[in-house]
Amino acid sequence: MKRDYLGISLVAILFGFSLSRIGFSSWDEVHRMFTFADLRLFLTFLFAVVSLAAAWRVVIVASRPRPSWSPRPIHRGTVAGGALFGIGWALSGACPAIALVQLGEGRGLAVFSLVGMLLGNWVYGLVKERYHRWDVGTCTDD
Amino acid sequence: MHYWPFWLGGSLLAAIMVLHWLLVRRLMGVSGRFTAIVDALRSQQTPGDSMGDAEYLAALEAATRAEFGEEALVQPAEDQGAERVGGQAVVAVPTGPQPLAAQFLFLGCLVFGGFLSAFSDGRFAVTLGLRSELVTRFFGDRLVGQVGVMVLGGMLVGFGTRMAGGCTSGHGLCGVSRFQPGSITATASFFLFGVVTAFCLHGLLR
Repeated sequence: MKRDYLGISLVAILFGFSLSRIGFSSWDEVHRMFTFADLRLFLTFLFAVVSLAAAWRVVIVASRPRPSWSPRPIHRGTVAGGALFGIGWALSGACPAIALVQLGEGRGLAVFSLVGMLLGNWVYGLVKERYHRWDVGTCTDD
Repeated sequence: MHYWPFWLGGSLLAAIMVLHWLLVRRLMGVSGRFTAIVDALRSQQTPGDSMGDAEYLAALEAATRAEFGEEALVQPAEDQGAERVGGQAVVAVPTGPQPLAAQFLFLGCLVFGGFLSAFSDGRFAVTLGLRSELVTRFFGDRLVGQVGVMVLGGMLVGFGTRMAGGCTSGHGLCGVSRFQPGSITATASFFLFGVVTAFCLHGLLR
């Protein structure tokens, strides 16, 4: 358990540090990406995905026993949820990890993005219980 | 401001996702951690609303028995912890939620990582705003207006990521790189709508 916490800390600190140095935590940089004024962030993302696709192949081959990762199928919330997230990302300039990184950089307004995210997540929980019960899966049960 | 070039940032992001898998034995997903925290807080408020672990396991066992019969519950004697699929052993991935402390630790360390980056770069400062020219130009320099935009944007992010079942890390990086259809669709959707929203803002509020 202690080793787990050490691993989590190391990865999260590296992740926060890198996101900040890449410029993902800057509202203006994110908008330069979305308006295609500067393709660096898009390229960063693309480069990460391509490297990862290669890295997973190595991980799968090298792992004994072989890792089993849960599939991520399309469901009724995929497109609509993604759309709402996209609109919110362009407004707040933050995806979930970024609000926390911004907080670490001392950008005060990020507190409100964070509060909004927790609130939105909570509201979805309520709506889901009442209206639609499809299984969206979450990324932590992989 | 000199940000990292795309190849450096991209390869490090990939390395961090692999490291997360190697050290935490899960694929990284940040919005899922938000969900875990929110649900934990919610079930504390209404104790009768959610099941305890033991109750949940008992219900799961009963449902498995009803669905697949008694033999589904018999544990294979050889290598516990790993199961065999198609003749090849696969890791039994922990599917239960991580303890709440782990969720807070991860999110807290993201904050610390951001601090380390800004501090070591001489960029660290505590300000009320986001230190963004465009936010001020679009939404005015009054803090009240900016707060409203952040809360609204944040709510859409929180609602949308939970609805889609992932965000930029879980779907965008870990899902797309595994060629998962749900992740590719969600990622296409959030980038598309991010672009459309940004163009709307730049067109309307210039």
